[in-house]
Amino acid sequence: MSSDTASASSAANTKTTAQDILTGLIPLFLQLRKLAWLIFAVTTLLFFVLRQAGDPALVLAGNDATPEQLAAIRAQFGLDRPLLIQYFSYMWNVLQFDFGKSLASAEPALGKVLDMVPRTLHLAGMAILLTASIAIPLGSWLGFKPENPERRMVSGFLFVMQGVPGFVTALVLIQIFAVNLRLLPSLGYEWYEPKTWVLPVCSLASFLFPSLTRVVAANVAEAMREDYIRTARANGASQMALLWKHAVPNALLGAAALIGTQFAALLGGSAIIETIFSWPGMGWLLLESVQTLDFPVVQALAFMIAILVFSVNASTDLVFRFLDPRLRTKGA
Amino acid sequence: MADHQISKPEGPVAIAKAEGASLNPLDPIARFNRSKLKQYTNIEIVVASILFIAIVILAVFGAFLQTHDPMQGDLMARFAKAGEKDYLLGSDHLGRDLWSRAVAGLQWSMACALTANIINLFIGTTLGLMAAEKEGWARTIIRQFTDTLQSFPFLVVAIVVVVIVGHGFVPLVFTLGLLAWVVFMRVVYAEATSIYQRDYVKAARIAGVSRIAIMFGHVLPGVRASLFVIFAFHFAGLLIAESALSFLGIGAPLGVPTWGNMLAESRQYLLKAPGMLMVPAGAIVLAVITMNLVGDGIASLSRKRGRSIDV
Repeated sequence: MSSDTASASSAANTKTTAQDILTGLIPLFLQLRKLAWLIFAVTTLLFFVLRQAGDPALVLAGNDATPEQLAAIRAQFGLDRPLLIQYFSYMWNVLQFDFGKSLASAEPALGKVLDMVPRTLHLAGMAILLTASIAIPLGSWLGFKPENPERRMVSGFLFVMQGVPGFVTALVLIQIFAVNLRLLPSLGYEWYEPKTWVLPVCSLASFLFPSLTRVVAANVAEAMREDYIRTARANGASQMALLWKHAVPNALLGAAALIGTQFAALLGGSAIIETIFSWPGMGWLLLESVQTLDFPVVQALAFMIAILVFSVNASTDLVFRFLDPRLRTKGA
Repeated sequence: MADHQISKPEGPVAIAKAEGASLNPLDPIARFNRSKLKQYTNIEIVVASILFIAIVILAVFGAFLQTHDPMQGDLMARFAKAGEKDYLLGSDHLGRDLWSRAVAGLQWSMACALTANIINLFIGTTLGLMAAEKEGWARTIIRQFTDTLQSFPFLVVAIVVVVIVGHGFVPLVFTLGLLAWVVFMRVVYAEATSIYQRDYVKAARIAGVSRIAIMFGHVLPGVRASLFVIFAFHFAGLLIAESALSFLGIGAPLGVPTWGNMLAESRQYLLKAPGMLMVPAGAIVLAVITMNLVGDGIASLSRKRGRSIDV
């Protein structure tokens, strides 16, 4: 009976009006302004730093080019103009989402990057999904009664796994499953072939799930000591109901922040795993283009990663706002 | 009957006797049990200390513990198994001793991570304290800069910068040192802001203590415990970052025996010599776990002394 009235009153509280949604969007607009500044700063910085790092004309023409060839290329790409003029014309183009053509393949740089985005999102999304589906049940189980001996063994295992970097796991997994057992391919990516996903996704998840599990466990353990759990227990709620209806949802609020951070870190940060498995994503392209001094692609990548990371953070914020009634500021 | 005890033991001596402990003042176990050390010691701290001391010994006296020259190979003894032909952990594709190379890699990684970590500590702590002191342009600029640095995955920034500044120990250390301080800044900023609100800091201000003296003499000691813990955990993170960059071929120069380079070399010979993978992989994992254990140990010690640490 009591739980019915409680849920009814909470439903009345959580009803969102259109105005609420609008006020909730104001921070988003402020964030967007921040994103614009960020992109401006990074593009400017990269422009000057990359020009100092190497001569684009030399990259284009190759090392054995004659001075005449170099001069011709400079004239063709406008590289003979003063640096500031180049900068302003470059920024004007960037405003129209034109980052120039890739020096390596003469394709538009932004298009090249956009090809990579779905593949990286695919890898990152699968890795986060696997991480969450291991970490949330395991963490809840661990945090429920943390002192059991078998639970201590599991947390010891988590501690060890936390010390194994993802690329080390990747190499060991390749050694076992691709080289010794010949079960799975050691490299390559086809979106329709789940076999090629298994090893990269597992390698990424193996490094991510220990920290998420530990956070979920700590949050569940903390929630179990709260007053509302005691009240629910006094009302005769079963152990399972206590855990899954009361403790875990609260623990997940804290974990959602970490999931967002982890997801953002994979956007470009999965470069090593992408390189190991020849997974043609943004991280792979980043390494490739930085090493060949392919400036337009590096610039377009930085732009894309900034936007993606921003969107992940912003949507984590929004999810929080809708999940946690305490963060929904009414008129404040 | 023995199971029916009439009088409870009284006083520490009686309790010790009842628990079956020796009262011999020279008995080391009894002395340890009664000492303060015991309440600060648990199995994790013991393991952490042993591993940590082993790593320090290997890093300092590595030259005497290497059985072979890590750079010099014997082409007659390629792909030796562990224990074969006096190769402790086997040899690689050029017949170089894996144990000696792993020790050399440890020295390189430790030197790199330690230097970068100290630079991180200085930059992060100073910026955090400056931002925490008072509202104003310093705080705005520092926080804006930190946010900008944080809006990219660390590895992305590190890859771009390391490729531009070039190969080698010094460029690598400075890239990590100048870019990875965000965690120090954030924790110092969060803790120091609340310390600046304490009465004793206000009193020091009124008494005319200089800003620098307040910053480093009054506020910094309050964040010291957290700094130790982050230093240990961050050390582990830097070890991973260093070997990851070397593995990608953009950190340590090719040919230098580092764990990252050894892993990169092993990829060609996975079928022939799994040891080439397992030795550097095991070394990285052991080093990272050790530093994590040390961090955990320091955190639990400070918690017992009544300081709370959130990392």
